[in-house]
Amino acid sequence: MKVSRLYLAFVFFVLYMPIFYLIYYSFNSGGTMHHFESFTLDWYKEVFADTRLLVIVLHTMIIALLSSSLATIIGVFGAIAIYYAKHRWKQTLLTLNNILIVSPDVIIGASFLILFTIAGIQLGFTSVLLSHIAFSIPIVVLMVLPKLQEMSPTLIDAARDLGANEWNVLTKVVLPYITPGIFAGFFMALTYSLDDFAVTFFVTGNGFSTLSVEIYSRARQGISLSVNALSTLLFLFTLFLVVVYYVMTQRTSVKGGQK
Amino acid sequence: MRRYAYAIPYWLWIGLFVIAPIILIVYYSFFDIEGHFSLVNYETFFTPVYLRMTFNSFWYAFLITAISLLIAYPTAYLLTKTKHKQLWLLLIILPTWVNLLLKAYAFLGLFGTYGAVNALFEALGIGTKQLLFTDFSFVFVSVYIFIPFMILPIFNALEKLNPSLIDAARDLGANEWTTFRRVIFPLTLDGVKAGCQAVFIPSLSLFMLTRLIAGNRVITLGTAVEQHFLVTQNWGMGATIAVFLMIAMASIMALTGNKKWGVRQ
Amino acid sequence: MDDRVIIRFDHVTKQYDDDLPVLDDVSFEIERGKFYTLLGPSGCGKTTILRLVAGFIEPTKGDIYFHGKRINNVPANKRQVNTVFQDYALFPHLNVFENVAFGLRIKKMPKADIERKVKEALRFVNLEGYEQRAIHEMSGGQRQRVAIARAIVNEPDVLLLDEPLSALDLKLRTEMQYELRELQRRLGITFIFVTHDQEEALAMSDEIFVLNKGKIQQRGTPKDIYDEPVNRFVADFIGESNIITGTMIDDFVVEFANQQFTCVDHGFAKNEQVDIVIRPEDLELTTVERGKLRVRVDSVLFRGVHYELCCYDTHGNEWLVHSTKKADIGEEIGLHFEPEAIHVMKQSGGE
Repeated sequence: MKVSRLYLAFVFFVLYMPIFYLIYYSFNSGGTMHHFESFTLDWYKEVFADTRLLVIVLHTMIIALLSSSLATIIGVFGAIAIYYAKHRWKQTLLTLNNILIVSPDVIIGASFLILFTIAGIQLGFTSVLLSHIAFSIPIVVLMVLPKLQEMSPTLIDAARDLGANEWNVLTKVVLPYITPGIFAGFFMALTYSLDDFAVTFFVTGNGFSTLSVEIYSRARQGISLSVNALSTLLFLFTLFLVVVYYVMTQRTSVKGGQK
Repeated sequence: MRRYAYAIPYWLWIGLFVIAPIILIVYYSFFDIEGHFSLVNYETFFTPVYLRMTFNSFWYAFLITAISLLIAYPTAYLLTKTKHKQLWLLLIILPTWVNLLLKAYAFLGLFGTYGAVNALFEALGIGTKQLLFTDFSFVFVSVYIFIPFMILPIFNALEKLNPSLIDAARDLGANEWTTFRRVIFPLTLDGVKAGCQAVFIPSLSLFMLTRLIAGNRVITLGTAVEQHFLVTQNWGMGATIAVFLMIAMASIMALTGNKKWGVRQ
Repeated sequence: MDDRVIIRFDHVTKQYDDDLPVLDDVSFEIERGKFYTLLGPSGCGKTTILRLVAGFIEPTKGDIYFHGKRINNVPANKRQVNTVFQDYALFPHLNVFENVAFGLRIKKMPKADIERKVKEALRFVNLEGYEQRAIHEMSGGQRQRVAIARAIVNEPDVLLLDEPLSALDLKLRTEMQYELRELQRRLGITFIFVTHDQEEALAMSDEIFVLNKGKIQQRGTPKDIYDEPVNRFVADFIGESNIITGTMIDDFVVEFANQQFTCVDHGFAKNEQVDIVIRPEDLELTTVERGKLRVRVDSVLFRGVHYELCCYDTHGNEWLVHSTKKADIGEEIGLHFEPEAIHVMKQSGGE
């Protein structure tokens, strides 16, 4: 028992060590990540004074929200289409759907780069947005499809029996039933988009950049504690999202779990 | 067909962003750097330089996957025994939401010549070591980044396991180790496979880590693709490597994704 | 045409792909205001009939008429028929009130009317005051009632019930049998009830259709079916029976177990091979001398109201006897029965 506790403690320590290391040195006036001189908020001031960085944060947010919303809409209807598809098509569709999930990022990035170049789409906001939508769709489908499959088919029969036409069935039964899956899919798409580096790195251009790409280029130039400050802010933002998500799911599960 | 009209954007997506890119990659692999149709890329791929790189990529991917599994399985198992396991699980997932680049960046500081790890080594009397820009740091950081993706499916598989099966095994005289080997592990194999898939495939394309952490000491296929597409502009060669990556990926999926396994258990 | 007829099946066949038809050239009529039961083992086609009436599937061949109009291609949402599903199919995201109101909202009925009708329907199934409950807060029996209320609130001409009691425990099931029968009387509409439980069918129905292998084997009142099964399948499916083969020697004389007996059946060809049914409760325990059959007791089970004896005669035929008297295992006993207890059936199946 004691050994197992130690083991878990060690795993968690290693898991969080780098993150807190970053946060700790973001308050270092020394300018390096190894010698803590004194406490300062200068790096945060620098982050907030850096308009270029703030624009990039804004871009990242816009791309994430837009792409995950659009991917959710397309993905939900895709999942419904797969759900209704004839049995022998279902497997083929699912395989096609999952290709982008299991593909290494470099391949997605490289192939999209070729695609956009051939289609004559200028590399920048549009190409990044399209790419993010593209790799988010299958995630949404995978989150929504189990909810559809878990739904008893007699529910649809029951709705039709009570006079519902196809539109009623969709809006009054199917969509409300799969709402938790839709939310989960949206959140997953959001995090994938915020987290993506490799695909964006391939298809961006023309001065358009997202946070990941920006951090990469700054990190390649060496250590700069404004990156630490930025990561602290991002970590807090992530924590905030987690709490929001947790509270939301907790609320629905309490609603669903009452006896 | 009218009832499928709502899914038109989805069909378009499959056509444009799933099927077309694959075709394009294969198509481009048949053109040399001047844009002439040729098989020169494939000839190049079968030279020792690239074969060695391929072998290296798979070796590193294998190492990363194996180490992740070795650490993740006990972790997942112990997590299922904790009191607030959903909370602990959330804490495992949380670091995955921190941008990958930031985590890599953190190791620049941690592993640096004057970083925390070397300070610790100094205190222990081991002495300062060159940590950054080595194979070790590449594998370590990769494992660090991927381990939650290994823990998660194994944890879920363990959670789904019917506890009375373990009781039954014990009841039939199996000791703890036999129970684990003959009952628990086989029944969680699907989770292990899912975890291995989630680690092995992405670890083939970690070009940013090879650049940041391994300082170009480790060149994997992913790094080569990035190099050819974005630096040397030799798309044909990049596409050829991508073709082989896709073949590798498909075979791994076929190997580990076999559903019949589940029936055999 | 008889205007009491609501539904008519005219040579209806339902077949999926190249499999055997699940429903094979079936014709029947359903009348207004009666309680019908479709009875048969799983895969006999009873649920297929229900789904055809509800409109979830279309017949492969033949026609279905509703009030004299052909409705083969009328979709489920346009039919004056409602269903109570086996798993109830209550919408988990809606509360009790909204589940019951679902059909009325689709019809865009005014709010006040919906309110009134839903309350009335819930009162009908004794669920007043449960309007705001979530579905998962209701017990199995209560869900059952919600499902019924949701169906009857639409005032259908026909209510279809697809094994609605199968998920309930025995006590609740018996209670619901009474309630359903009572509900049907009060509403005065046609119920078509699907079950594989013969006791349930006998207890509730005005008329039973016994189905097997996609064909109607027999239709009639519960008493008809119990007393006069037309073939081996029906006799075997409805209640426990002793079924053995025999020969019709002449009118009113039948031979089985190497003995001739007087019976009340006639109209068979001379020396025709027939199936004989004798219900276990019609066999009476007596001494060897007084018995018409001489058997040896093989096993005895105490069933509460009676003993169930399993006996074998000298020809190896098994005889099941329900008796309030007890006999010892291995004991030789006689079995007595009246000529009326013998029921002779044609082997081919027709009556």
